[in-house]
Amino acid sequence: MKIRNSALAGIALAASAALGLTACAGSGTPASTGSSAASASGGAVSGEITVYNAQHESLTKEWIDAFTAETGVKVTMRQGSDTELSNQIIQEGAASPADVFLTENSPAMTQVENADLFADVDKATTEQVPEEFRPSTGKWTGIAARSTVLVYDKAKLTEDQLPKSMLDLAKPEWKGKWAASPTGADFQAIVSALLELKGEAATEEWLAGMKENFKAYKGNSTAMKAVNAGEVDAALIYHYYYYGDQAKTGENSRNVTPYYFKNQDPGAFVSISGGGVLKTSKNEAAAQAFLKFITGKKGQEVLQNGTSFEYAIASDVPANEKLVPIADLQAPTVDPAKLNSEKVTDLMTKAGLL
Amino acid sequence: MTSDLSASLRGSTTTAGRGNSPRPPFGVSAVSVLAVLIALFSLVPLGYVVYMTVATGWDTAVELIFRPRVTELLLNTLLLMAVTVPLCLLLGVAGAWLVERTTLRGRKIWAVLLAAPLAIPAFVNSYGWVSAVPSMGGLGSGVLIATLSYFPLVYIPAAASLSRLDPAIEQSAAALGLGAWPTFFRVVLPQLRIAMTGGALLVGLHLLAEYGAFAMIRFDTFTTAIMTQYQSTFNGAAGNMLASVLVFFCLLLLLAEVRSRGTARYARIGSGAQARALRLPLRGYQVPAQVFLLALTALAVGLPLYFVVRWTVAGGPQAWAADEFLPALLSTLGYGLAGALATTVVAFPMAYLAVRHPGWFSKSLELSNYITSSLPGIVVGLAFVTVSIRVVPGMYQTAGVLVAAYVLLFLPRALVNLRAGLSQAPKELDEAAQALGKPPLLAFIRVTLRLSAPAAAGGAALVFLAIANELTATLLLSPNGTRTLATEFWSKSSEIDYAGAAPYALLMILLSAPMTYLLFQQSKKVAGQ
Amino acid sequence: MIEQAPIEQAPIQKAAMQKAVTQKAPIQRAPADRAAVDQAPSRLPEPRINPSVATSTDSHLVITDVTRNFGSQSVLKGVNLSIARGGTTAIVGPSGSGKTTLLRLIAGFDHPVTGSISLNGARVAGDGAWVPAHKRHIGYVAQDGALFPHLSVGKNVAFGLDPAKLPGGRRAVEDRVRELLEMVSLDPDMAKRRPHELSGGQQQRVALARALAREPELMLLDEPFSALDAGLRVATRRAVANVLNKAGVTTILVTHDQAEALSFADQVAVMRGGKLAQIGNPFVVYTRPADRATAEFLGDAVILDAWMEGSLATCSLGGIPVRRPPAQGRVQLMLRPEQIRIAEDGPIRGVVVDTDYFGPETTVRLKLAVPPELASGGDHRYPGGGEIITIRHWNASIARPGMELCLRVVGEGVAFPIEP
Repeated sequence: MKIRNSALAGIALAASAALGLTACAGSGTPASTGSSAASASGGAVSGEITVYNAQHESLTKEWIDAFTAETGVKVTMRQGSDTELSNQIIQEGAASPADVFLTENSPAMTQVENADLFADVDKATTEQVPEEFRPSTGKWTGIAARSTVLVYDKAKLTEDQLPKSMLDLAKPEWKGKWAASPTGADFQAIVSALLELKGEAATEEWLAGMKENFKAYKGNSTAMKAVNAGEVDAALIYHYYYYGDQAKTGENSRNVTPYYFKNQDPGAFVSISGGGVLKTSKNEAAAQAFLKFITGKKGQEVLQNGTSFEYAIASDVPANEKLVPIADLQAPTVDPAKLNSEKVTDLMTKAGLL
Repeated sequence: MTSDLSASLRGSTTTAGRGNSPRPPFGVSAVSVLAVLIALFSLVPLGYVVYMTVATGWDTAVELIFRPRVTELLLNTLLLMAVTVPLCLLLGVAGAWLVERTTLRGRKIWAVLLAAPLAIPAFVNSYGWVSAVPSMGGLGSGVLIATLSYFPLVYIPAAASLSRLDPAIEQSAAALGLGAWPTFFRVVLPQLRIAMTGGALLVGLHLLAEYGAFAMIRFDTFTTAIMTQYQSTFNGAAGNMLASVLVFFCLLLLLAEVRSRGTARYARIGSGAQARALRLPLRGYQVPAQVFLLALTALAVGLPLYFVVRWTVAGGPQAWAADEFLPALLSTLGYGLAGALATTVVAFPMAYLAVRHPGWFSKSLELSNYITSSLPGIVVGLAFVTVSIRVVPGMYQTAGVLVAAYVLLFLPRALVNLRAGLSQAPKELDEAAQALGKPPLLAFIRVTLRLSAPAAAGGAALVFLAIANELTATLLLSPNGTRTLATEFWSKSSEIDYAGAAPYALLMILLSAPMTYLLFQQSKKVAGQ
Repeated sequence: MIEQAPIEQAPIQKAAMQKAVTQKAPIQRAPADRAAVDQAPSRLPEPRINPSVATSTDSHLVITDVTRNFGSQSVLKGVNLSIARGGTTAIVGPSGSGKTTLLRLIAGFDHPVTGSISLNGARVAGDGAWVPAHKRHIGYVAQDGALFPHLSVGKNVAFGLDPAKLPGGRRAVEDRVRELLEMVSLDPDMAKRRPHELSGGQQQRVALARALAREPELMLLDEPFSALDAGLRVATRRAVANVLNKAGVTTILVTHDQAEALSFADQVAVMRGGKLAQIGNPFVVYTRPADRATAEFLGDAVILDAWMEGSLATCSLGGIPVRRPPAQGRVQLMLRPEQIRIAEDGPIRGVVVDTDYFGPETTVRLKLAVPPELASGGDHRYPGGGEIITIRHWNASIARPGMELCLRVVGEGVAFPIEP
């Protein structure tokens, strides 16, 4: 009897709590909870859009909040990773509820483009983005960029011990000395650049060497943290993890120094984050407006002044002042339309990394 | 004539054919049809895996299954199970024995504390350990965390069984000259067989299905690899092949458990005060026992709790950002309630058949559901994603699909409780109500439903607990924009925002605690099943 | 006291001499039934049905040719029974005989496969008709009372009452509950208690009150006293019989206890193997059982081989008159132990083998002496001599092992043909 009472009481409590909180807090599911008293004065766009977001949640949230404040358009966000969402969009096909797709790297965009699911990006938007940061096909556009970097522990590696090229990391002397997060789309983008720059054979060889040498971590932050803690000497990640952590408490990057490969080395690859509007979008006007906003001054200023530390690339907005300017990175030229994520997944699966 | 008397006194299963009717009346036929539909539905994930394996083609399948990576995963998984399961058995039985059969001081508290780790999801446990020892990784850490998280799955049934053991058997052994240790091994332990095999099966299945805990410590198992493949290829062949291997192992485990259970499937439910067994005096072993239990509890419960609280405090009030936290909490509560309700309703036809019309039919229905529930959440999630995209696109990305997945995953928990409850409401009471003039449906509602309601509520509470802590199927199936406590915790801790993740962990533990207590109490009633 | 007829007067026929017979027949296999039946072989022979002693003109319940089986197991094989209004019938039989199944068919919890059941002249089951249980207005008291555990005693009793239909509404319901509890000799204050707080006997009485609440015309009791202690059983039985008699309710009681059946009912129906072996009033059924199995079920029986000539059966106990001889020649004769008395001047001799003292009476096992007619050698038509029988006597001191006693038989015997 006691148990029955407490069970019923527990359920009643939970139910009433849910009901009560629902009453107080209003609807709970949309991601944007910025000021709902948004003015509808921002142009003719209205309604709702769904964004499939592979970018960092906090960054996109900033964009969404600002966009909704300006236009009153309600935005629902689905969070995932690059290839997870790209594959999902392809699988969903015509039934996909997505209006906008934002990624961290370009291979996923190319994948969706090749499945002919993107609508043409508005001219007004493409005009804001420099040519090198968008594909020639005009089916999507770059929204931000990040640079590959090798973060290392100064106490463990001296400057002349650092590798001249990313390819050196596959050599025997680097066994057990570096870390990466192969399951992430970030690293897979780096591999796709390698594939594009050096060809399949060289990539396969490098991956095999990687399997021997590297330590796997789940997530770039975790990899950097491991370097910081002295577990491993270096990690191959993207630059903004370092700067982002430094801007916060720095507890995961205190002992870490970034090293840029430069010299058009595959390790100097600058990955373009992409944004595109789906053909099947039910509210294309608002979707295009969102993309325009991100690549516009206000959106790019979020990158400049915000906490994401990715590179701003459009509307002549300079990057965050703490970062190494893009021009100085000496990145290799890679056509984003040529990056093939499926091949990369195949190769990495074959190498036993996935 | 005395035998007749004792037969009729023994219970209501006389030869008057109660419950043995092979031609159930119409109302029961409707229930049977319903139950069959549910059973078929519950076979969808298994069907999906089989279909995918076949559809991939033999060559590709072989290529994808027999590669070094899979061997690596296989090795990891097998080693994990080979070490963790015996450890859990050891700790669980030892704990149960200390609490139930010795003069352990403070055993009422220990009894609950030893079941407490169940209130902490394994991935939160992992989070605590990684906070304590950041360099944790590999098999050893995996075994440590898994053992600390899952030994209650053996402890609870073992304790329940031990508390219901007939002391007369041990006393006879003593009269025959067996000392304490030989008695334990030759007399007590065999009677724990059902509890131990059941517990071992549960531990094994949890190990196979666990994702978050192992991903956090970089220990690769099938499930983590499937998740990785999913994130890279969404629904690629490689992931599906891994899923088929995983399902194969789950079925193997099921088979092993059924075999080793033997013919002792006898469940005693209901009243009947049993003579209390004598407790073994610990004397000099009291202090070591207390120390052992203290250490176990500290590691399993104390450590994760300490870190969760510490991170919560460190994070400060901003971690409780209402715009993220509240929706997650509400979603969890909402899905938990909806799932618990749906599961109980769905379980009813099967439980009804199992209790009122037992036979091969009801047993095969239960079996089909048993098989599905042994599948990891990730397989069910993958199956539902594919099926909903290809077959019922209108259902894709809806809450309904997620709730359906929960129902499939957690049906057995509701079933076990509902069966016990229905057994407490025998047919005779329904008939008495009918003889008193109530039409059959009204009699059913006023008597049977009413009497089985507490047990149903208990089962619903357990399903709620499971849903609140579920991660993988939720990650795969939750509609766009939905977050639950578990998924929010996961995304925060993946970005090493431990302070941000802490409030979610705390709340999950708070939600789970009362349900865990309930599970513990319930287990005492259904010992032997 | 009926004297035994002198043996010389009976015609003599050739017969084989039978060896010493023990009191109980050896285990016999049941003859194969015509219908295909997967039943465990019964050790009881196929019953023979005797017609009802009194044909009732005012039949409350008529059961005609009812059969019921579960899968391949045939539980009722054709039952015919007629219950008079206001009367009490006990259906008695060993477990597995199908009596509870029959009761459930009457109550409406089950369908007969063939046959029909009529209540007050209206067909309620069989031949296409079907009236469900909740419409039959029959009271049913299950074996363990079946009180609803989640309701108080008062609510249990009031379960069948509809406050809307009673004048006075809820007040009237409470009064009625009070009345019913008093009727079954329970303290009305018990209405607030829960069933599990009551003793077994009290629970049975509450179940009875509950069933009586709707004033049914027919009451079914399924082994209602079997769960009670022996001492309580008799008192409760008497109380229940009183209540039902006063209320004028037709009652059917199912039991496996022959003493209960004989003391409770006006009409006893003996059930065996799915059929009724005999129906009649208790005295008739006990003193003139239709067959050996019925005789042995309803009480202790002394069964001896005998030679029937005319209406006299000659056996080791001498010549015993039999009212309706079923056959001539070799028969089995049944006497009840109380008919064999120890008398100083008794014509039969026996030697005490052993005694069993159990308080009010002593059972005495005696080895009968060979009757003088047979001892002389001569004609071996008459079987007998040397059987061991069990009788009862109030005086323990009279019988000691080894003592020779004189016996006298009182009353008639019942003869059965020899079983094949």
